[in-house]
Amino acid sequence: MTPILSLRSIEMRYNKHLALQLEKLDFSAQHIYSLVGPNGCGKSTLLQIAALLLKPTKGQILFDGEQVLWKKNTLQRLRQNITLVHQSPYLLSRSVRHNVAYGLKIRGIDSKEQHRLTHSTLELVGLSGFGRRNARELSGGEQQRVAIARALVLQPRLLLLDEPTSNMDRASIEAFDRLMPTLVEQGMTIIQATHAPDPAQRQYSTIIHMEDGRLA
Amino acid sequence: MGFLFDSLKTALDLILSLDPEVYNTVWTSLYVSAIAIVFATIAGVPAGLAIGIGRFPGRRVVITLLNTLMALPTVVVGLVVYGFLSRMGPLGQFGLLFTPSAMIIGQIILATPIIANYTLAALSASDSRIMPTALTLGASTTRGAILLLQEIRFGVMAAIIAGFGRIIAEVGVAMMLGGNIRGYTRTMTTAIALETSKGEFAFGLALGLFLMAVALLINMFLNFLQQR
Repeated sequence: MTPILSLRSIEMRYNKHLALQLEKLDFSAQHIYSLVGPNGCGKSTLLQIAALLLKPTKGQILFDGEQVLWKKNTLQRLRQNITLVHQSPYLLSRSVRHNVAYGLKIRGIDSKEQHRLTHSTLELVGLSGFGRRNARELSGGEQQRVAIARALVLQPRLLLLDEPTSNMDRASIEAFDRLMPTLVEQGMTIIQATHAPDPAQRQYSTIIHMEDGRLA
Repeated sequence: MGFLFDSLKTALDLILSLDPEVYNTVWTSLYVSAIAIVFATIAGVPAGLAIGIGRFPGRRVVITLLNTLMALPTVVVGLVVYGFLSRMGPLGQFGLLFTPSAMIIGQIILATPIIANYTLAALSASDSRIMPTALTLGASTTRGAILLLQEIRFGVMAAIIAGFGRIIAEVGVAMMLGGNIRGYTRTMTTAIALETSKGEFAFGLALGLFLMAVALLINMFLNFLQQR
């Protein structure tokens, strides 16, 4: 089966500093992967490259067998299958509903369907009733859940999560751990970066250890 | 002090009695500057965005040039545009000199660098995560730029208002390109300069009060928008 994402001879340099070097890394479809490692080991860089937001200095990326050519139109088409949730996500200075519906609007989904999908996804992340609230006025954990809802509502084939539970309380983390395997059943592939995966994450995900920009 | 009070009383009388000459002059100022600011916004905001987002050779030079253009003396702009629009100039055949259109052209040149520069400043101070967020949610670069613009809307509004403030209060362009023709190209600022030199201090003061009222209204409008 063709991997959903393949990285070949990837190198990412910031000036002379080598931030990431990967000879070969494949991610199979409908799996959960946890990138584990200390700060600065290259996890976030890898996620940004996987999200096609950062062009590596060297190397090849294949998304579902198609080579990424870094051309405007191709990138936009491929990015519509991949969504990255940053560790400290940027929420638009609008309502929660507006934030979650943003990607749907871009895809030309009609407003009635936008409303339905937004409502059900907010319910999924435990934020039903938050739709009209200003997204910027929520707590850190709630903001993180809005960002996750904003990604989930798009049903991406590849979901990338950078420290997704870092601001969440215990109950939210447990709900998140219950949610993850159900997303895979729906057809998603998930790659998350984390310092230390909790026992549940160790159970449902394939752990990839990283150190100094390389696979450990 | 008596002179000042008497002049202020006469100025208020002129305003309250709806003196046609005062109102005509105010109207000319407002419509010329309003049209100019629309065009300057259309040119300046995308220019500021393009310079802010784009990474191209000579970008620093463009920014330095923009900063220089912001400080351009209005009479210099008037002089250069005069050269182009005068009968001997390359655009002389259009007969634009000493018309409101000439003043609009001059004011567009004055306001565009201000709007572009303030937009650029708003962009530089904006959150660097906006664009990647838009892209990862499936937006095109253009759509991302629109989102960026929405997120820095208060900075852009401030840019437009700063540009309007500059052109509504300028004298050089209006005088050199408009010619200060009564009832046609006479603006508040050129009329103040002329009437005061003729000894009609009260008339100048009446227009001065209008200018201050315009500045106050614009700031109140900006505050209103920011509080929404």
